[in-house]
Amino acid sequence: MQWQFSNDAPIYTQLIQQVKVGIVTGAFPPGERLPSVRDLATEAGVNPNTMQRALAELERDGLVYSQRTAGRFVTEDNTMINQAKRSLAERHVKTFLEAMLRLGFQKDEIIALITQELGEEEANHASA
Amino acid sequence: MPVLECKGLTKRFGRTTALDEVSLTIEPGRIVGLLGPNGSGKTTLIKLANGLLTPDGGYIAVCGSAPGRESHRLVSYLPERTAIPTWMTARQLLDFYGDFYQDFRREAAEEMLDHLGIQPAQTIKQMSKGTREKVQLIMVMSRAAKLYLLDEPIGGVDPATRDYILSTIIGNYNPEAAVVISTHLIADVEKVLDEVIFIHQGHVTLQSTVDDIREDKGMSVDALFREVFKC
Amino acid sequence: MLRKLLKHEFRATGRIMLPMYLVLLVTALGSNLAGRKMLDGPDILNTLGVLIVMAFGFAICGVMLMSFVLMIQRFYKNLLQDEGYLMFTLPVSVHQHIWSKLIVSAVWFIVTVLAIIAASLIVAFQGGFLWEMLDFLRYFFEGLQKLKITEAFNGTIYLVEFAVLMFLSLAAFSLQFYAALAAGHSRANRKMLWSVVWFFGFQFALQFLGSLLFISLDRLRIPGFLNMNWDVAPVAAIHMGLLFMIVCVVIYGAIFYAVTAFFLKKHLNLE
Repeated sequence: MQWQFSNDAPIYTQLIQQVKVGIVTGAFPPGERLPSVRDLATEAGVNPNTMQRALAELERDGLVYSQRTAGRFVTEDNTMINQAKRSLAERHVKTFLEAMLRLGFQKDEIIALITQELGEEEANHASA
Repeated sequence: MPVLECKGLTKRFGRTTALDEVSLTIEPGRIVGLLGPNGSGKTTLIKLANGLLTPDGGYIAVCGSAPGRESHRLVSYLPERTAIPTWMTARQLLDFYGDFYQDFRREAAEEMLDHLGIQPAQTIKQMSKGTREKVQLIMVMSRAAKLYLLDEPIGGVDPATRDYILSTIIGNYNPEAAVVISTHLIADVEKVLDEVIFIHQGHVTLQSTVDDIREDKGMSVDALFREVFKC
Repeated sequence: MLRKLLKHEFRATGRIMLPMYLVLLVTALGSNLAGRKMLDGPDILNTLGVLIVMAFGFAICGVMLMSFVLMIQRFYKNLLQDEGYLMFTLPVSVHQHIWSKLIVSAVWFIVTVLAIIAASLIVAFQGGFLWEMLDFLRYFFEGLQKLKITEAFNGTIYLVEFAVLMFLSLAAFSLQFYAALAAGHSRANRKMLWSVVWFFGFQFALQFLGSLLFISLDRLRIPGFLNMNWDVAPVAAIHMGLLFMIVCVVIYGAIFYAVTAFFLKKHLNLE
């Protein structure tokens, strides 16, 4: 896992996002046990209390669950993981759209740009 | 019970007042950053908590008692300079800590020294400056103390060593204890802190949690620090 | 905890003193050989012999100087310099710190005296030396047998009193240095200069008070201390003298102990 933090948001909300990304991308596969809070905190270079808070939040959302003695596990519920994936995607799209609108693009222009970009990418893949 | 408590704490050096009526409390289970520019009184506060200086006014209590022999049992202190005797070998240093501190976890210390590739027969004198600082930190963090007072643990070391030091702190402190880290290099420690205390010209100007600052002000503690202490 | 402090203090000092004693004994052995074989031999051997004897002389000066330097240096470097940060945050009292330093340096002083005696015996050792020693001991014990029991008893007590006096004097002497260093280092600046000033200040105060004591005792004449008719046997007078000196040294040491403890406890001011 690559942990990166920006300066404008609380650290625990950023941790929630990044663990979510880890779950969605399979860095933390469904049903697998998560490393201990202290290990995760050491790896991310953050305060263990903050990591604890982030995991508790994820637990409340149902993405992870804890078993009394064995520790915390990633959910096996794929619909829930897909939901998380979708909400992460929506966030990216939202910020993207905000940026584009600020630059003065219209809706159809944005769609045209995206289609063109995707087409180029496909062509690149085909040639490669 | 707070692990560190000061009320109206004052310390003067001749005509200069290093700490002026400082009041604060630090609760167990927290990692607290004591942040301020050079000469703001951070080291003075830490030395007072260790009984290396005596206050001129007010009081300071560590785990409920005045700094002294009893509190030294509970406090693990990293001075801002290398204080371990340089003639000692790594093994003699382990003996020393093991003899004087009942909460010293020798195996943990040995493992960390081994990880750094330090031989037990190697003397401190033979080590580089950065290695000496790491060894001293390993000794300090291998104690299961109630309060860790770390004075400038990351000052004057390269970024890789900084990462090593911070992960050693996170990976080894006793979770029921409080950790106080004094520094002026805020960007580097911000993520490991629960709370910050800003100290400026002998006064405490702010005590808050890191995430509260980020949430309320929409900026990092580092950015806030630069704004507050702008020259 | 005092035991542990002593253990580590012996570790810190033994690594310097023990090799010095070894050098002393080796050069003593060399001097013995030189005296018997080399000095009358050809030029090269003669020169070598002279060098070895000189080395022995240096070794004697070396151990004496080193046990003195170490007494000051351990207190200064281990407690008042950077290492003080570690030492004064141990769960140990200031008194235990002072005692550990005091005991260890006194022990080295004694070992130094014994080592020099042993080295001198080694130098003097010859083929007939053992027999001479035995002769000497025989005369000594014959002499002892001629002594009356009271003389033998008093003689032993004199020796004990003298040894105690020597030991206490060394300890008190060390304490005067400790007190001066502790007082000087409570200052914010020029700590070493202040320590020297304190040392000579103590020295001056001691001499001043000492002479004042005798003058006043003489002037007052109330107890008639010096003019009193000292109607005691010379044997008892020597005991009284030695005991009086022991008491004086204890008081002198106790004052400097109190000064040292006061400054380390109340006015510790590490840089």
